[in-house]
Amino acid sequence: MKFIHRATDSWLLLPDSEIAGPGPHRLLTLVQWEAVRDAWPANVPVGVLLPNTTDVESLAADLPRIALVALEFPKWVDGRAYSQAHILRARLRYAGEIRATGEVLVDMMPLLQRSGFDAVVLREGERQSSAERALTFFPAGHYQGDVLQPKPLFAREVA
Amino acid sequence: MYQYTEFDRQFVRARAAQFRDQLDRNLAGELGDDEFRPLRLQNGWYIQRHAPMLRVAIPYGELASRQLRQLARMAKELDRDFLHFTTRQNAQFNWIPIEKSADAMDLLADVDMHGIQTSGNCIRNITSDVLAGIAPDEIVDPRPYCELLRQWSTLQPEFAFLPRKFKIAVSGSLEDRAAIAWHDIGLQLLKNEAGEIGFKVLVGGGMGRTPVIGSVATEFLPWNQILVYIEAVVRVYNRFGRRDNAYKARIKILVKAEGQKFFDQVDAEYRKILADDVGGTAHIIPQAEFDRVAAFFTRPDKVRPAIGGFDPNRTGAAPVPFLRWLDRNVHAHQIEGYRAVTLSLKRPGLPPGDVTSAQMEAAATMSDRYSLGELRVSHDQNLLLPWVREADLRAVWHAATEAGFATPNIGLLTDMIACPGGDLCALANARSLPIAAAITEQFDDLDALLDLGDIDLHISGCMNSCGHHHTGHIGILGIDKDGAEWYQVSVAGSDGSTLSGAAVPAKVIGPSFAAEEVPGVIQALIETYREQRAANERFVDTARRIGIAPFRKATDLVRRETAVAA
Repeated sequence: MKFIHRATDSWLLLPDSEIAGPGPHRLLTLVQWEAVRDAWPANVPVGVLLPNTTDVESLAADLPRIALVALEFPKWVDGRAYSQAHILRARLRYAGEIRATGEVLVDMMPLLQRSGFDAVVLREGERQSSAERALTFFPAGHYQGDVLQPKPLFAREVA
Repeated sequence: MYQYTEFDRQFVRARAAQFRDQLDRNLAGELGDDEFRPLRLQNGWYIQRHAPMLRVAIPYGELASRQLRQLARMAKELDRDFLHFTTRQNAQFNWIPIEKSADAMDLLADVDMHGIQTSGNCIRNITSDVLAGIAPDEIVDPRPYCELLRQWSTLQPEFAFLPRKFKIAVSGSLEDRAAIAWHDIGLQLLKNEAGEIGFKVLVGGGMGRTPVIGSVATEFLPWNQILVYIEAVVRVYNRFGRRDNAYKARIKILVKAEGQKFFDQVDAEYRKILADDVGGTAHIIPQAEFDRVAAFFTRPDKVRPAIGGFDPNRTGAAPVPFLRWLDRNVHAHQIEGYRAVTLSLKRPGLPPGDVTSAQMEAAATMSDRYSLGELRVSHDQNLLLPWVREADLRAVWHAATEAGFATPNIGLLTDMIACPGGDLCALANARSLPIAAAITEQFDDLDALLDLGDIDLHISGCMNSCGHHHTGHIGILGIDKDGAEWYQVSVAGSDGSTLSGAAVPAKVIGPSFAAEEVPGVIQALIETYREQRAANERFVDTARRIGIAPFRKATDLVRRETAVAA
C-alpha cells in the first residue's frame, strides 16, 4: 500500500470550473474528463476522480489512457467504492493506480487492499504507523478470494 | 457438528488480536468513539443502556457443550451470571465492561467462538433450521452449505460496509423452520426432477418498519453456484441500495422500488462474474470441498438406530407431566429410536431466552450425557438436544425438570419470543420483559394453555423487530409516545411454517395500548378466540377467518387509560 501525502503528491486536481487541457499528472473530475476525453492524446496519462456512484464499467474504453483512478469515500462507512475497485481490477483488468480518497481511516486498510486499492490518502490526523499495522493481522490470509488472492481458501488448499 | 481447523483457529485469534489493537487505540484516544463504533459492532459489541452488550455468534445455531460451559464461565466471571439467547440463534452478554472486551474475545477464541459480524451493516451470522440434519422431513442437510456460506461471508472485504445489515437463512426441509421469507436472502434447498441439489433463492424479505416477504429470485440455482450468486445479489445491493435514510436502506426497499429491474441486474452481474471476473469461477464450490465440509456433519459414530418403538407406559402408567412433556417438548427424529428434546427457556421468573450460569452448566452436562455433547439454539429462543435416545427420555425429563427446562409449553402461548427490550437495549422504545412476565404469570394454568393450543406470541421493544412481532399469531410492538411506553397489538402473522401458513405480517388491531392494559388485551384476544373458534381450529386460523374486527371490539373494552384516545 502506497501512502500518499498531499504535500508531495504529483497529481494536480484542477478546480471544477477550469478547463483541463492535456498535461502531465492532471487529475480530472469525471465531469472534466467527459469534456475532454475525445481530444485527450493517448500518450498522456491522466488521472480521474470518480464519485462512488459512477458505474466504472462505463469507463472501460478509457482505461488504457488512465494512469490513476481516485475513488472517493464521502463517509468511511459508505462502502460503494470497494465494489468499484473490485470491478476495475477483477473485471476490467485495470492495472493503474487505484487510490482511496476522502474519509480514509486506518481500519479500512485491509478492506481497501483486498478490494484492489494500492494507494491511500489518509484523512488528516490518521497515523500511518497504525495503518501499516492494520495490514498485518491476518498473515495466513482469508477464507474467500479477493483481488490480491483471487482463489478462495478451498481452491488454494485443494489445488 | 463442524470442528475448527487450524486455519479457523488462527483466524479467530487474529481477529481477536485485531480487535484488541482497535480497543487499545480507542482507550488511548487515537481512535474516536464514533469511529470505533462500527468496528466494535462488527465484533458483536454494542454500547447499551447500562453497559456494553456482547453478541456471540453461534453459526446456524450449533453449539458444543464445551462452548456452553465457557459461556457459563464468562457469565459468572465477567457478567451477572446470565446469558440471553436471541431469535437469530446467537447469545448475548449484557454487563461485560468494555475494558474487558478484548479479554472476552480471547476467552471465546479459546473455544472456537467469536462475535464476528453479529452486528453492523454487513452479512450477519447465517441462521438455519434448529432440526438441521435430524429432521424427519429433511430434503437436504443445510449445515454444510451454511458452513460454506459462513466461511465465504466472514470478513468478505467488499461487503463490510453495506447500506444496512444483511441476513441470510437456510432451510433444507419441507417445513420452513428458519423463516427464510423474512430474510434479506432466504435459501431453500431442494432437489430437481433429476435429483440434483439446488437452491430456491428468495431476496428482499425483512421485518423492521416495513415488513416485506422475500421475492423469488430464482427457482433453482445449482448448489455449487451459490457463492457466486450471493456475490451478485450483494454487489447490486452495495451499489444501488439507499444510504440516505436508514429506514429505507435494507435490500427489501431496493427490491420493491426496482422490481424486475433489480432481478435483471442481479442476473447480469451473476453472468459477468462467471464470464469475465478474475476469480469468478474460483468460487464455484468443487465437489471435493463440499465433501470435505460435509464430512463434519455426517451422523455421529455413536448413533445407532434402535428399532422397536417407544412406549412411555411400558413399565406402568407414566406420570401425566412426563406425557405432557413428551407431547410438547420432544420432537420426531430422522433416526429410529432417537428424538430431539427442547429445553424450554420460557418459564416464570426468568425472561424468555435467558439462562443462568448454573443452568448452562446443567444443559452442558445433559448434552454430554444424553446428546453426544451437542446442542442447538432455536430461533424461538430455546435450547435443543439433538441426539437423545428414546430409552433416555425419562432420565432427560428428570434432569430437565431439575434444571428448570421442563416446562411443557413448546409452541404454546407462554413459549413466547421476546427481545430484551427497554430494560437493557438502548434502541428500544419500550420494555418487553415486564409484558412477557405479566403474560407468563397470567397464563400459568397448563390445562388452559394446552386447550388454547399452538399460539406464537412475539414481543418486540421497537421497530427493529428483534422479537419478530410481525410474524406472531399475536404480535406486540413497543412504541414511544411522548416519552411513555405504549404497545401496538396485531394478530394473524406468520413466519412461514406449515402451522402458521404462508409468511405474512400480522395486522394491527387498533390504536396502541398502555402497558397496564396489555395483559387484559391478551386475555380479550384469547377469549374472543375461545368464543369464535371452530372445532380443532387454531388461534391463527380463527383470526384469519374472522378478521381483526371482533378482536378490536373485545380489546377496546379493556381500555382504561387509552379509552378516550380509542
